[in-house]
Amino acid sequence: MMYDHFENAVKGITDKLNQDPEGINAKKKYVLELSKLGKKLYSEDETIAWCGVTAPFDLLGAMGITSCFVEFVGAMLSSTQTAGGFFEEAEDSGFATDSCAYHRAVMGAVLKNAMPKPDFIIGTSSPCTAGLAVMENFAHQYKKDFFILNVPQNYTQDAIKYLAAQLEDMTLFVSDHTKRPLSKEKLGIALENFNASSTLLKEIYDLAKTKPSPVDNNLLKDFSTVITLMMGTQQGVDICQAFKNELNHRIETGQHTSSKEKTRLMWIQNRIQYPFPINEMLDDLGAKIVVDELNDVTWEPMDPDNPFESIAKRMISIPFSMDTTERIKHIQTLAGEYRIDGAINPCHWGCRQGTGTRGLISKGFKDINVPVLNLEIDCVDSRNLARGQIETRVEAFLEMLS
Amino acid sequence: MNKKIGFTCAYTPVPLIEAAGFSPFRIFPDSKAPDQAGHLLHDNLCPHVKKVLDRALADDLPELDGLIFINSCDSMRRLADAWHEAKPDDPIILVDLPSGTNSLSLDFLSKEYERLAKTLFRWNNEPFSIKKIKDKIDNWNLVAASVKKIEKKMSRDYFPGYASGLQQIINTAATESTDKALAMAQKELQPEEPAKAGLAPVFLFGNLLFDPKVFDLFEEWNVHVTASDFCTTSRFITPVDTTADDNIFRALASSYMEQTPCARTMDTAKPGDIAQKIVQRAKKSNARGVIGFTLKFCDPYLARIPMIRQALQKESIPFLMLEGDCTMGSMGQQQTRIEAFTEMLGV
Repeated sequence: MMYDHFENAVKGITDKLNQDPEGINAKKKYVLELSKLGKKLYSEDETIAWCGVTAPFDLLGAMGITSCFVEFVGAMLSSTQTAGGFFEEAEDSGFATDSCAYHRAVMGAVLKNAMPKPDFIIGTSSPCTAGLAVMENFAHQYKKDFFILNVPQNYTQDAIKYLAAQLEDMTLFVSDHTKRPLSKEKLGIALENFNASSTLLKEIYDLAKTKPSPVDNNLLKDFSTVITLMMGTQQGVDICQAFKNELNHRIETGQHTSSKEKTRLMWIQNRIQYPFPINEMLDDLGAKIVVDELNDVTWEPMDPDNPFESIAKRMISIPFSMDTTERIKHIQTLAGEYRIDGAINPCHWGCRQGTGTRGLISKGFKDINVPVLNLEIDCVDSRNLARGQIETRVEAFLEMLS
Repeated sequence: MNKKIGFTCAYTPVPLIEAAGFSPFRIFPDSKAPDQAGHLLHDNLCPHVKKVLDRALADDLPELDGLIFINSCDSMRRLADAWHEAKPDDPIILVDLPSGTNSLSLDFLSKEYERLAKTLFRWNNEPFSIKKIKDKIDNWNLVAASVKKIEKKMSRDYFPGYASGLQQIINTAATESTDKALAMAQKELQPEEPAKAGLAPVFLFGNLLFDPKVFDLFEEWNVHVTASDFCTTSRFITPVDTTADDNIFRALASSYMEQTPCARTMDTAKPGDIAQKIVQRAKKSNARGVIGFTLKFCDPYLARIPMIRQALQKESIPFLMLEGDCTMGSMGQQQTRIEAFTEMLGV
């Protein structure tokens, strides 16, 4: 069923792109590549690894592995409004209703046999304990080999060396399964692509800082988190290039000034995944999400002569891997660079890692005189959505800002 | 008065605290301090972590010369973050704790424990001494051996008050000193009353059960606790195998990582092994049933409950799962369910 869904998506988007071969269509190209990834995951003739969010997808790709973080599937099920039965399956099996719904959705999918069977599992201790627990559940259910990348929180030389050594071990673990050693040449190409994508990402985010911003409320939704799945490939570079072109085109043609931008907002952590017209509502009220917290390049270029240490530094540099003080410093820097008027923090129900910092983040914004709206909401499970309440709070917040 | 070091996680090696000349003070979530932690963190967070922070915010703690936090789970990470905000002048160290138990992780943790030890000696202006650390570990191992003996006796027969007595010893090691706990343990080895029959032998597991009165309540509700596995019960008194490695920190790391782990620690070679370990411990302690007790919002445990339930079902071992919030009140609400469970065990 899922294979057919992705195949149809690939076909439909390809047809539309063919009708407009000169168009930039960044978002369509992006969704096309994600659909192709989905198709590969469900094709049953690829070597599949289910992973944690911060896994090195460029390195895995260089080793011929089709890999993806499981929360991507949770988000997809939610956005297509097909998650309901999977939540129920997981809850009936004893997974707590107050746990993270990204994880509950995928566990339900595993139990209902709706997930592609992996060849092995790569868990990561960052961003969250719950994610790693789900990875263990995957390994247990599928009876597949399990590898953990422990991402230390302290950015020290010992921590970098430790993670680099684990990454090297991971390549041996993967080789044991594929019977193919890591090709330095292929890794070199992947890192080159990663660096090219990173350079373009920086340029995209710099363009987004323009006032008025050329982004819209949907364009860069969860972009950095998802694009890492393909940054080590030429397709990833092409996607980033398309987004850069799209933003430049909007600026050149004055589209960015035509949209209302009374209020510039930052969105904290992940967006709401199920259909909920918050973007349209913000549009109507003249508010624009100009930056998502995670849309940033926090790492130095990858060094092909020292790949494991480079990747280790990158993994630790992600604000979620570090302590909240560092995360807040990062948020405050972004707030200044993007000249935001306010921020929305959707406190995703069940997320101890991100939502657990609600009060500290609020204080971090207060210290720089930026108002923040804390929305108590489940970003994936819409069954208990208090829609009216959320809408009223957003309206009141924007009124206060204006 | 002894200088105290506060800590919150069972992966904190108490011998390192004592070797540096401090007394350990495990901060239990035992307080009538008002609920304020949700403002700094979030209300949907582990009640253990919130209550510990409430104690700090309400100044409901003895004077502490420093705090040790362990990066054992998201809630503990957030507690360390919030402590910086609540008590900015407190010296704090956060120890990074790997989730897996391979050789690289043990090397890393041994360096983290060495960093912890050196920091503690520095905080107390004491010269760093491996000998002092080894002496304190020897003492700690004596307590661990005594606790094991008591548990062995508990698994064979029911002695009224024995389980809460054991918990008092463990709490003393956590909040006062190893020496005092050892003295208590040696005394406790002689039960005050003869063995009795008629109660349901049950193995308890979970994350936090520290109040000795809870164990008395269990007995009132017809439960003979044959053994338990909580981060506040015997798991906390982890014996350190000093022969495991010439490097004392590596010996500490392997002992803490490889013996009865918390749900957050995994053996990648055996995913879901926690379920088998609980089955084995229940059987070894001659339990007829198993009660799981976890705090609300504890992801490491809650995510493993389905596999634990499945493993116990496979062995036809009855299982009762309870959730609470650290208070005696929340335990009191469970009375009917626990009594029904013991009745069902048919004792």
